[in-house]
Amino acid sequence: MQYGLLVMGAPYSSVSPHSALRFAHTIIARGHSLSGVFFYHDGVHNASSLMVPPQDELNLYHAWVALHQQHDVPLDVCIAAALRRGLLSEAEAQRHGKQAFNVAPPFELTGLGQLHELQQRSDRFITFS
Amino acid sequence: MGVPMSASDALLVVIRHAPHSSNVLREGLDAALVAAAFGKPVHLLFMGQGVMALLKEQGSGAPGQKATLPTIDMLEMYDIDKLMVPEETLQAMHISPDQLVEGITLVASEDLPSLFQQHAQILNF
Amino acid sequence: MNTTAILHILTKAPRSSAADQMQQAIGEQDSVLLIEEAVSAALEPDWAVWQQYPSRIFLLSEDLAARGLARIAAENDLPAVGMDGFVALTEQFEQSVTWY
Repeated sequence: MQYGLLVMGAPYSSVSPHSALRFAHTIIARGHSLSGVFFYHDGVHNASSLMVPPQDELNLYHAWVALHQQHDVPLDVCIAAALRRGLLSEAEAQRHGKQAFNVAPPFELTGLGQLHELQQRSDRFITFS
Repeated sequence: MGVPMSASDALLVVIRHAPHSSNVLREGLDAALVAAAFGKPVHLLFMGQGVMALLKEQGSGAPGQKATLPTIDMLEMYDIDKLMVPEETLQAMHISPDQLVEGITLVASEDLPSLFQQHAQILNF
Repeated sequence: MNTTAILHILTKAPRSSAADQMQQAIGEQDSVLLIEEAVSAALEPDWAVWQQYPSRIFLLSEDLAARGLARIAAENDLPAVGMDGFVALTEQFEQSVTWY
């Protein structure tokens, strides 16, 4: 089956990104495919390449990137929710005259339409928040 | 009570968070508006603290906080005209229907589970 | 009209507004999975949801174990499923709603 996930909790504030990652690996291990993960609300913080957790904690950014690299899972981030929380791609940083950016592929800033599209084409759509 | 007839094609967006507390309400309504803009029928259900988004006398928030009422007023332009509130929520919150904006559909408690079951897509905010 | 049974996923404690709202929405044929904070329901075998939906409500065993509640859940005869069981529930139920 095709699964889609919605993640709305911030790393290190909420445990929901951990739950979502464990769930993602488990569905793939059971032979399903993961059509995409959409990050919304505080979940957009998962896309920050600048997070530096202590070494004895899981780096959630790296964990999402690894999920993408191993299984080619699209990681879409709501652009409106991201911009207002200071998560910018290089292009958005330029557009808004900012000196730094913290969102880069495999994370993609995209519109909310992608959330609905993912929900529409997934056989199963699970929210973690 | 009015569980909509074409419910199964529609997206049910559930709003459970109040204005001026977190940003969940705003981002939930944004998700509803975008779905409607893409031509998807959208039904809104306000539960718990979420019903406070419908109080007709609400103003804007503390300085710098955006008001919610203009967004509620905008829903109709996006053809989102099914705004539902469980009767149980109003009783629990001590809010009477005439304190809410117009056009609200009250849902009896016993009909709430079937309302959820009749929607093929649900987003819970 | 088509109706779909729902898997309700609760992430907050039994005495939370999320839990109260979920209780209002649970229908016939629905199931409940308790994850994250919600596994503290292991400490409350007389919680109304345990009573109302016997054999249709489960605790996530990894989250129980992490919180030191696995033995208590077993002693209280409350059913737990692992991450595999979580996925199996989502296979079984077309629709899920997460309460947080």
